[in-house]
Amino acid sequence: MSDITQSRFRPATTEAPAARLVLILLAVAGLGVLVLAPLATVFAEALAKGVGAALHSLTAPDAWSAIRLTLIVAGCAVPLSAGFGIAAAWLVTKFSFRGKALLITLIDLPFSVSPVVAGLCIVLTFGANATLGGWLVANGWPIVFALPGIVLATLFVTFPFVARELIPVMIEQGRVEEEAALTLGAGGWRVFLTVTLPNIRWALLYGVLLANARAMGEFGAVAVVSGKIRGQTATMPITIEMLYNEYLSVAAFSMAALLAVLALVTLCLKSALEWRYADQLAATHRH
Amino acid sequence: MARPFIQRSPMPGLGLSMGITVTMLSLVVFLPIGALLMKGASFGVFNVWEAVNRERVWAALLLSFRMSLLAALVNLVFGVLLAWVLARYRFPGRRILDAAVDLPFALPTAVAGIALTALYAPNGLFGSLAKEVGLRIAYTQWGILIALIFVGLPFVTRTVQPVVEEIEREVEEASATLGATRLHTLRRVILPMLMPATLTGFALALARAVGEYGSVIFIAGNLPLQTEIAPLLIVIKLEEFDYDGAASIGIAMLVISFSMLFAINLIQIWSRRRIGHV
Repeated sequence: MSDITQSRFRPATTEAPAARLVLILLAVAGLGVLVLAPLATVFAEALAKGVGAALHSLTAPDAWSAIRLTLIVAGCAVPLSAGFGIAAAWLVTKFSFRGKALLITLIDLPFSVSPVVAGLCIVLTFGANATLGGWLVANGWPIVFALPGIVLATLFVTFPFVARELIPVMIEQGRVEEEAALTLGAGGWRVFLTVTLPNIRWALLYGVLLANARAMGEFGAVAVVSGKIRGQTATMPITIEMLYNEYLSVAAFSMAALLAVLALVTLCLKSALEWRYADQLAATHRH
Repeated sequence: MARPFIQRSPMPGLGLSMGITVTMLSLVVFLPIGALLMKGASFGVFNVWEAVNRERVWAALLLSFRMSLLAALVNLVFGVLLAWVLARYRFPGRRILDAAVDLPFALPTAVAGIALTALYAPNGLFGSLAKEVGLRIAYTQWGILIALIFVGLPFVTRTVQPVVEEIEREVEEASATLGATRLHTLRRVILPMLMPATLTGFALALARAVGEYGSVIFIAGNLPLQTEIAPLLIVIKLEEFDYDGAASIGIAMLVISFSMLFAINLIQIWSRRRIGHV
């Protein structure tokens, strides 16, 4: 289109070159100030005292246990939330039943609840002075201020991701292929594994990616339920808060940089998926 | 019965998928939210109101709501601009810009919080610039606004961008042949088409901002009555083991977010009716 815009005649469906330039510059400047500058700050602050100091702070025992805990939590919560997402998407797209619209709204519910309120809800259910929580604690299964509570809180906030990526794709694909496989005599699991799964794999990966990023970075909900016990229930984001409040800037930003790298990897994978499988993901392009 | 509750289908896995969905939804979502409501019910409606109807709580709720509204408005204007630029123009670095829009979704809120604080603190890069003109950003309400703009940034862009991509050029051509200037076409033809998606994105950004915690608490300063947001108040109550007080504020926030969800749906229905299906 540039060869046309450079001539004297400009198509009526675009703006004047000067206006376009101004808009592009505004977009670049706005994103630069709002998004890219904070990202650059994370790395600049982490490396303020050199690479050695940053790496040294990450090898501290508390840092290690935080990294390990975050990996365990994501390792528990993401597969569970993916399993739920697949089941919910299958239910919603392969069957007709009453109250389906309501069910879809309910699946999305965690997105409209503040993470802190989510954490509060879990404390009120499973805390030591709640009925259910008290019984569990008495039987030796503490949930709040322990790993299960952190996993539950993470599960709450990551719940809708996989389902809402899968549902539009599976609606678009319909159920003709599965019905064909069924008439040819395939069993239920075989239909799912050989017909459905290949069709939805990129949307599934996309949803898992988003859920994982959220799981590893969740702060509000986890802050409420974790109890912030150093070395035991402090995840990476919680550790960042504790280090930051102790004015250990390099250590806090080094751990933040680690999570920022994760965010960047997530974005790269996500963009790569979007560019390569644009058609299959087109239906999911809404957040 | 006109329609059976569940239509018979040859598809396998109805029981399994229904079982998993309902069980997990109940355990992870309904049970905890139910516990919150039960806590409020056992505390008593009057006591819940008493716990919320205090100067400090009102200040926090109003601050959260006011700043979220402002941030969502900024994101509305900038988000539409960004969506237009990304969908319509081709320029070097467009894909990087496109990917960068999602960064606030991918970057953990605590990381964003400390990064924004470092940037806008009086000795930070932008903070020192602001100090030159006599403005303090970090540890004031401006800081809260910046953090909320950051977390809400992708919503409007990501809802509007696909709509811009789907607009058919013929509409704009028709408008131009009928003598409209480009500005006139944009205002009278394009913007109305983008309206429902824009409002949806606006409402999503608003809902997200009202409940936001991680990115705000570092930059806010957290002074009662001035820069203390509602979610922080819940955390403070919990640290004092005041579960009734925490539950009361939690219920207030839940009511606010559910009314906003309801409003979103009304706005969408209204704009669809006015503009037609988009």
